[in-house]
This record gives sequence, structure tokens and C-alpha cells, in this order.
Amino acid sequence: MRTTTDIGGTFTDLVYLNESGDIEFNKSDSTPPNFETGIMEVLKKSKITLDDISMFIHGSTVVINTLTERTGAKVGLITTKGTRDVLEIARGNRPDLYNFRYQKPKPFVERYLRLEVDERLNHRGEVLRPIILKEIDAIIETFKKENVESIAISFLHSYKNPVHEIAVKNYIKSIDENISVTASHELIKEWREYERTNTTVLNAYVQPVTKKYINNLELELSKVTQTKNKYVMQSNGGLTSFADSKEYPIHMVESGPVAGVYGSQLLGELINEPNVIAFDVGGTTAKCSLITNSEVKITTEYYIEKSEKTSGYPIKVPVVDIVEIGNGGGSIAWIDELGSLKVGPKSAGSTPGPLSYGKGGKNITTTDANLYIGRLSDKNFSNDVDHDALKKAISEQVAKPFNSSTEDAALGIIEIANSNMLNALKLISVRKGYNPQDFTMIAFGGGGPIHAAQLARDLRMKKVVIPIAASVFSAWGMLMSDIRKDFIQTNLIPLKNVTEMTMDDNWKRIELEATEEFKKNHFDNIPIELHRSVDMRYKGQEHTVHLKIDNQNWTNNFLKDLREKFHKEHEFAYNFKLDEAEIELVNIHLTAFGKIEKPSIKKIDQLDDPIEERALIEVRKVYYRNDNWQDTKVFRRESLGYKDQISGPAIIEEKTTSTLVLKDQLAEIDAYGNIIIEVDVDNNE
Amino acid sequence: MSNQNPFIKEVIKDSLLSIGEEMFIALARTSMSPIIYEVLDYACGLTDHKGNLISQGNGVTSFIGMLSPMVKSVIEKFNNGEYLKEGDIIIINDPFVGGGSHLSDVGLVLPIFHEGKLIAFSANKGHWTDVGGKDAGSITSNSTEIYQEGLQLSGVKLFNAGKLNQAVHDIIRDNIRLPEYSIGDMWAQVASLKTGEKRFKELCQIQGTALVQEVLDDLIKSSEDYSSKILKELPKGTFEAEDIIEGDPRFGGPYNIKVKVLITDNEFICDFRGSHPQVQVPMNCSYYGLMASVRVMYLAILRPKFNITEGLFKPLQIITDRKSILSAERPAPVSLNFEARIGGAELIWKALSPHIPDRLSAGHSLSVCTVTLDGKMPNNNESFLIVEPSAGGWGAMNNADGQNGQFCMGNGETYNVPIEVAENKYGVEITEYSLRNDPAGAGQYNGGRGVQRSYKALTDKQFISASFGRHSTPPWGMNSGDAGATSYITIDRTSGETDGPYGVLNRLSLQKGDIVNLVTPTGGGYGNPKKRNKELVEKDVKNGFFTLEEAKKIFDYKE
Repeated sequence: MRTTTDIGGTFTDLVYLNESGDIEFNKSDSTPPNFETGIMEVLKKSKITLDDISMFIHGSTVVINTLTERTGAKVGLITTKGTRDVLEIARGNRPDLYNFRYQKPKPFVERYLRLEVDERLNHRGEVLRPIILKEIDAIIETFKKENVESIAISFLHSYKNPVHEIAVKNYIKSIDENISVTASHELIKEWREYERTNTTVLNAYVQPVTKKYINNLELELSKVTQTKNKYVMQSNGGLTSFADSKEYPIHMVESGPVAGVYGSQLLGELINEPNVIAFDVGGTTAKCSLITNSEVKITTEYYIEKSEKTSGYPIKVPVVDIVEIGNGGGSIAWIDELGSLKVGPKSAGSTPGPLSYGKGGKNITTTDANLYIGRLSDKNFSNDVDHDALKKAISEQVAKPFNSSTEDAALGIIEIANSNMLNALKLISVRKGYNPQDFTMIAFGGGGPIHAAQLARDLRMKKVVIPIAASVFSAWGMLMSDIRKDFIQTNLIPLKNVTEMTMDDNWKRIELEATEEFKKNHFDNIPIELHRSVDMRYKGQEHTVHLKIDNQNWTNNFLKDLREKFHKEHEFAYNFKLDEAEIELVNIHLTAFGKIEKPSIKKIDQLDDPIEERALIEVRKVYYRNDNWQDTKVFRRESLGYKDQISGPAIIEEKTTSTLVLKDQLAEIDAYGNIIIEVDVDNNE
Repeated sequence: MSNQNPFIKEVIKDSLLSIGEEMFIALARTSMSPIIYEVLDYACGLTDHKGNLISQGNGVTSFIGMLSPMVKSVIEKFNNGEYLKEGDIIIINDPFVGGGSHLSDVGLVLPIFHEGKLIAFSANKGHWTDVGGKDAGSITSNSTEIYQEGLQLSGVKLFNAGKLNQAVHDIIRDNIRLPEYSIGDMWAQVASLKTGEKRFKELCQIQGTALVQEVLDDLIKSSEDYSSKILKELPKGTFEAEDIIEGDPRFGGPYNIKVKVLITDNEFICDFRGSHPQVQVPMNCSYYGLMASVRVMYLAILRPKFNITEGLFKPLQIITDRKSILSAERPAPVSLNFEARIGGAELIWKALSPHIPDRLSAGHSLSVCTVTLDGKMPNNNESFLIVEPSAGGWGAMNNADGQNGQFCMGNGETYNVPIEVAENKYGVEITEYSLRNDPAGAGQYNGGRGVQRSYKALTDKQFISASFGRHSTPPWGMNSGDAGATSYITIDRTSGETDGPYGVLNRLSLQKGDIVNLVTPTGGGYGNPKKRNKELVEKDVKNGFFTLEEAKKIFDYKE
């Protein structure tokens, strides 16, 4: 049996496939700092026979929470002479332009713990001044005195040649094998010292905490199951070993949200939709990501705590390219200083939650607005909703200031929330040169299915898919994941100087690195698939174009094709090409997949008895733009069968989410139980 | 409310905002010059059909005040907009007409037509790597007339009804250095304008031009209301300050500048009369340059949390003498105009900070601290050119230390160039990039630290120009806080001698192995240093910003 566990801030979730191939889930309280306790509890609570666990996949928000709550280790940094303040100067920028009282994000290592050694490489990786390891002794002495718990090493140009970083790390380990040490080249082989140093420091910061709980988890698991198939979900949408995650926990920083994107790619392949927009709405945020030709996009331009008001902290490890905005079911509606209606990013969270949860929430949220105009049903709430209070709050907080009716105000809130989500969806599609009409939307999370139909209509998309068990779809993605490792190496060279021999050597070197990594993690018996890609640009340009390439030799013909492909891609992404300009190779990127055997996916039956008899819950009034209150049929998703068809307007309810089908849209259930909504674009308002 | 559904307007506002941002992203992604894509020295925005600012994406602050005067001057030049056609793009960099800072900042303006009617403008302005003139990078510290500073474009059609004006294109290309960069940027600017146009027209199609027009008016009106509301919260009266623009001591200066700020319930008047007359060194700024920076200062005081539109500036008035250093006229040189316009704007800061300490801080580095360095690469003999601002220290606040190593008020979302990138692209080694340790800017809250960046030349015959303001008078302290530290530049020659200190350099030659140390100002302190929290002083000492002896003396620290 396959199981996934996911440690969140409040709950630890368990999702598994039972014997008949159904997805089941359970949750238990998270138990910081002994996170493994929560996992063992939720396992015991479930109906799983622990012996039967054949694969254990683990994701967690421990890393991101340790960072945002500042509960990590005390870190000391060893860096090149002349550069100890790089971490503090950072990039010198001030995103909040007119705030002359702006405060930069504080570095995770204070100045007195940032110590320099007199070593230096040049940009070609040649040694200008060799390292003298004796200098390290005094540094270790200082770190000991200051109770440093974890050490980061980051030297200039180590992405090109890590020789000094390796020497220092080995030296430190030879003094004390148990001390936590992270060297920058182990995480990143790309240029830009601030970003690389910061990433290294953050890895060192979370390492002791993560190591401790993963060790304990391993120990507890070994008492109940013999399975060797224990994996951790990483931010690149793939799995790695427990051992690896203990050394480089920063790769887990987005371990939860990316699984849904990966799941979307997989579901897309299954139902023959290679081009997908994955759209996930939770309680506090909405996330979206673009998948083309069944390929999930990966970026190394990831930040935590970055906003229009603050520059945040860069983490330069491969992360699935997700745009996330502060708009979810719990996002609060408010009026700004100019009298404009806004929704989010502030959220009512799980406590007190939306007003209609009756837990003391006073603010109107998107969920409240959806309930008020009938898109959600109070029967699916665990409490008795106080409808008078709800009406009064919408009226006072939104309707009165805008001199509108209460239902228009509620719809207004939803439309503002939709507008925010639409901007995020455009950011990943239209603004990058993609036409949403060429894509299918896969919508999930508690809030995705209620907003998807309208957003798809606004974007003129043709089809929306609401997967089965939509609210835990991310976990399904995790159950289906492969092992994945990304190796990115900055290799700056004009394309005209590239030779077949040097490039083949470079690829061989990086492929060897990949196979050794697999060996190190005991993945030897898993079939490995190697995918090559490159980042290229016109000389002088900063931004690069990412190109997937075949695993073949870099012959003249290949280079000719590559050039053409680059011009074409550049024109696609940026609306112009420079036929005469010199092209540079910037990074070579190898992705190694370890293909894990997947469980088969269950199909559902066609049902004979009339749909209205078996699945209709009720007919209720729902408020729409232009059509006002309309009788709307509400169906129970669990009672729907293969090939069932439902015309909009309609609502399909399941335990933890509801799907809205608009007028002139048609929902059909496919063989796997997914709801497929055909969006009628001719009726776009 | 004229419309039955007020919430559609909110959606339109959102869309307008995202158009400005999208134009901004489009330009950065397609630019070929580090000054654009790394330093983000550019801005993009939309105005209404009269040139009033509606939404803007910014990299640097000063440009916020430059787009709308630039569009307005284009409207004026083309006969109140009558001679503008669909598909036109106008190119403009003349500092003495709307929106001018210096010739390097080149603006493009695109009139947006919908159903045959002029409805809005998309505009942008970016710092080009070179626009010709006597010195590489078109930044010079010893020009005597603007004619030496580069090609002047007073608003000419680069595109005429959708067709490239090849003559203008060729004239530009043939009169600038490294045309592949600047012409590349020009195309990036064009692409960004077209993106803005496309999105704006889509919006009109979906929502109707009349409703969009109504929203534009609403936006301007509501921000005007906001600014009068804040004005009521500010102290009323007249507030004065004086300071100097330092200039290059070898060619004259310093030059006195002064301001009288009058705040009433509905006016914010900045009177700069009595400041030094314009000079024959490029320390002048034009009236529009001054206005741009004063607008930034005004925004920092108002602190709106929403999208900035023209309406906010309604109460703001600027008065100057004609032909003053803060309002120079042709043919005055203006290459280093930022010293004057930021200097002028910061006078307002200095005048008001003691009265609104919760909105401002002590004095900051003030100067953009520009560096231009050119020469050959060590291996392939190719040319390289660095043009960059430098990060300095910011002033302390009434409740927190000043920020270390941050670009000045004229910059903003400005990024330094990473050492590893610089060493790949330029013929230099960066031997030091660190915060200053000298005992300046002390206070109950300390001023932020200036930065030292040191370049070692890897080839002979490199040339460096630089303009570091605050090299003779440090950033001011506040409420008994100490002043910060002055900037300086020194050169460690391979002979063992040290050149300098200098504040301004003009094409000083460097030979292989010489190291130039560029050191930016430390910001002013706030409050009496003796009142500084003991634990903070101990941290200062531990972090190496003050020695124990200095701490004892300055902070009255006792172990």
C-alpha cells in the first residue's frame, strides 16, 4: 500500500490508496518540535495495517515554517576575504520605492559570525590564492565559543570550481564528524554569490531541525514497517531519499504545493491533455502553474517572504514554477484608503476562520460570499450558520459603502477575488506568450472547483477538469511521484566557441555525477532516465531561454538546429529575435528521473438509474451576474457515474469542496470519475 | 455612482495596475543592457489622453515624476495631440522639455487609439548605456555645454503610423557607442509600449471605453482626495533648510541651495528661490528634473499605499529662479543632474524631518555615487564598460537603526551587480565589497553603513569616472545624533602610492594591478548616542562597527 504523510502548520495529513484503489485520508494534530509523533499518530488512527505499507512518501512544511518562524539553528558562515558583508548588503534594492523608512530583511547570520578566509579563485575557476586550512582552526574556535550549531561555506566562483569549499568542509568534518556543514556548491552550481550564499545559509539554518525529526521518523517507522521505499517530496516535484533530505533540507522548502502541479501533469497525460494550467485554491492562497507538452516548469528564481513591500530571501534551488497569491477561501474583503474594494492577502486562517464558521470571525471572506449567494451550502459546514449575522456583515462591510444590494456586494467580493486569480493565471500564461485557449485547466484544492468555471470562461479556455478527491489532489500527486534530481551547471561560453568534444565531456561529467548521486542514495535498482536541457541567451542579455534538448552529441548539425530552436523560442517568449547577435550558452541542466512503478488508477462504472433520482440533492437559489437569483440543481458527486452529463447552471457537491457549472456549460463525468466541464466561450459576457 | 455595478470598476482598476507591471516586466526581460535588466534604471506606465499618470511600473523612484510631463510635452509639440496618429512612437530625451533628467534617459511615447480616437498613452523611459557625446557611457563630469553630452532628441517620430522612421533610427545608431546595446534596448522599449497598448485596448473592448474613461477619472480624483486628507494631518507653516551641491572641487563649487516649504491645508509649496545660478559644469538639473525628485520626496511624506496617479500631485507646487542650478536652461550641461535634483529634493527632507520624525529619518547617502569604468578584457582584448550606481548608508529613524548598503532615494528597485557576474563580464577583480567600519553616524539609533567596493584593474589603460556626492559634508544627524561619514575614492597604485581621496573622477587612468576603492557615505544617526541601549552597543562592538574604545567614548559605554 502506498501512503503519503504531509506535515502542515496545524495538521498532519495522511493519504493512501486502499486495496480497491480508492483514495482515503485522515488527519491528526501536528506535534512540533517532535513532528514524527504526529505522523505515527495519524498512521495509528487510520485503518492501515502498518505491515502493508509498501511505500512511504513524506512531505512537510517543517522547512518553510522553521524559516518563517525563525526557529532554526545558529549558523556561522565561512566566506572569501572581502565578502563577509555580501549577505547583508544583499542586492541593495528597495522594492517599497517611496518608503524612506524601509527596512531590509535581516540576514540569517549576524556579522560577527561571518568570517573570512584568504582564498581566491577567478571567474574561470583558476586558483589565485590557495586556501590555507590552518586559518580554519581559529574560525572553528570562534564558532564553538559562540555556540554555533551549523556551518555554511560559500566562496566566490565555487560554482565553477568547488576545490576550496570541498577542502574546508572535509577539514571541518575531520575535526568533528557530527557537526552540520553545508558548502554552497553542493546545492548550487550557478553564479551570483549573494543568492548562493543565502541559500547555503538557509540550508544550514534548517538542517539540524530537519535532521533530528527525519532521524526519529526513520526510527519509529522501522519499528512498524520493513519497507525500504521511504521518500521525501522535494520542491522540484520529485522524490528523494531520507538521507538526502537530511543533508539538503532546503530542497523541501515547497514540498507540499508542488505535488499538485506534478499530479496535474500526470492526470493530463492520463486523459490526453498535455497542455495544462494547474490551479489550486486553498484557505489562504491560490496557486497556479503552467504545464506544456506534459512538462512541469522548474525555476531557480524562488524567494521566501518577498512581496511588493520587501525583497525577501532568495533560495536558488530548483522549484516548480508556481505563482502564488494571497487569495483563498479565507481571504478577507476590505476597503482601502481610496475606497476601493480589495480581497486578501490577509486571511481569516483556520481560527477564527470565515464569519460563517461561527468561531468568532467578524470579517467577510470569499467563503462567506460564496455561501451567501448560494454557491456553497450551509449543510456542508460543521456548524449552524448564523445567516442574519452573515447578511448584516456583508451589508455593513461592503454593500453600504458601495450603495449596492447585499447580493451584489457578495458577488462583487467574488469578482474581485476572481480578478486577482485571473491576474495570477495571466502571469503564467498570456504574459509568457502562451494562449490559454490551448490549455486545459485542472482545478483542485478546497476552493479551486468553485472558481474554475468563471475563470476559464474569462480566459476563453475550452475545458476544465475537476479531479476526483479534488481537495486532496496534491497528495494524489505525491503518491504518483518519481525520484527526481536536477543538476544545473553555469557554463558560460559563446556558442561559436562550443566544440563537440568539450560539450560531450561536460555532459558526461554531469551524468556521472547524477548516477553517483543515485548510487549514494541507494536508488541503483531503480531505472534512471536522463533529460538534458540548456539555458541560452543573446550575448549581453541577462534573461535566458530554457530549451529541452535530445541526448545526442553536439555535432555541427546539432548546433545549427540548436541555434534555430533558440531564435524561435526567444521570439516566442520575448516577441523578437536577433538573427545577427551572438548566442551564449549559460547553463547546462540535467534532470535525472528514477521511475517508480505506479499503482493502477481505478475506473468507475456507468450507472443506469436516472441521475436526478440517485444524485440530486436539492434545487436551490443561486445568484448570478445578469441573471439574478436562479433555481440551480445541486448534485452529489459520490453518486455520479461514468458518462453522466449535467448542464449548467448546476452545482456538484462532495465532502470537502463544491464545483460550480455555469449557464451554457456542460459537465460530464469521465471514466476515472473526473468532472470535465466544457466551457462555452461564445457566451462570454 | 453612475453605473449599476460598482464592482466592475474595481476590476478595471486592477487591470490598469497590472498593465503597468506587465510593461515593466516585458522591458526587463527583453533588454540587452545591464543598466536596464540588473539596475532596473527605467520605468513604464500609462497616462490618460491628456498625459495624466494612471499607472506605472517602476525600477527607480525619480522616473515616477518624469513620464507624465514627457507625455504632456509630446502632446504640446504635436499640436495638442492633433498630429499624432495610430502607430506613432515618439522618442524624446531633451532634459529641458517635459520629463528630462539627462540625455542618457531616453523616453518613448505611444499614443493609444481605440476606434479612431486618442484615448491614452503608454510611455517608458530607460537609461541607455550610451547616447553619444564626448565620453564613453555619456556620463561626464566636465562638460561645459549639453552639446558635449550626447544626441538630443526633442520628441521626434521614431515610428510614423506604424512604420519605422529609418532615418531617425540610423542617425541614432551612427552617433552612439555600443549601438547594439542601446538599439537593443530601444526595441525592448518598443515591445513594452506595444504590450501596454494591446492590453489597454483589450480592456476597452471588454469593458467599454466610456467605463474605462470613467475609471481613469475616478482614480485621479480619489488620489487627489487622499492627498488633501494627508495634508491636513501634516504640521502647517513654513519650514526651511539649506545645503550645498559639492561638485568637483577642481572646477568650482560648492554651490548653495535652499528651500522654503510652505504647508497649508491644501497646498504643499516648495520654493527654491535664492539657490545658486546655473553653472558651466554638469551639476545642474532642469526644472523637470527637479520636479521629478521633489515628487518622490512628496510621495515619501504622503506614503500612499496604493497605485500612484497624477491626482496625488495636485497640491504640490514648485517655485524656482530661472537659470538656477536647480532649474537650468539650455545650453547648461546636466549630465550629473541627479546631484542637484536629489540634493534639492532632500532639502525638503531636511526641513521637515524634525517635525515629522515618524514619516522620515536622518540624512542618507544622498548621492547616486555613479561609477563608469571602461577598458579591455584580459584574454580576448574585447572592450567592456561598467556604468553603475553604488549603494550607501541610510539615516537612522526615531525607532530603528538606518539601513546598511542600500541605493539612494533616487534609485529604488535597483540591484547591484554580483561580483561573480562582474568578473565574468568586465576586466576587473573585486577585492572588497563590504560595509564601512569607521565610527560615524552614532546615535540612540545608528546611521546605516556606507559600502566599500574595490576594483582591481586586470589590464592596462582602463579609465574610471565617478561622481560621489557627500564627499565634503557628511549626511546629517538628527535630534542630537552624530553626522554620518563622507564618501571618498582612493587608488592604490602598484607602486605602493595612494592617489586621492577624491569625490569626483573624470577618466582617471588605471594600469594593471591598480586598485580603486569606492567608498560611499554612512548615514546620519538619530538621538543622543549616550542613550543607545547597552546591548545594542555591545552588538555594535562584536560586529566590528565600533571598537571598544570608540564605544566607551561615543556611547559612554561601561563594561
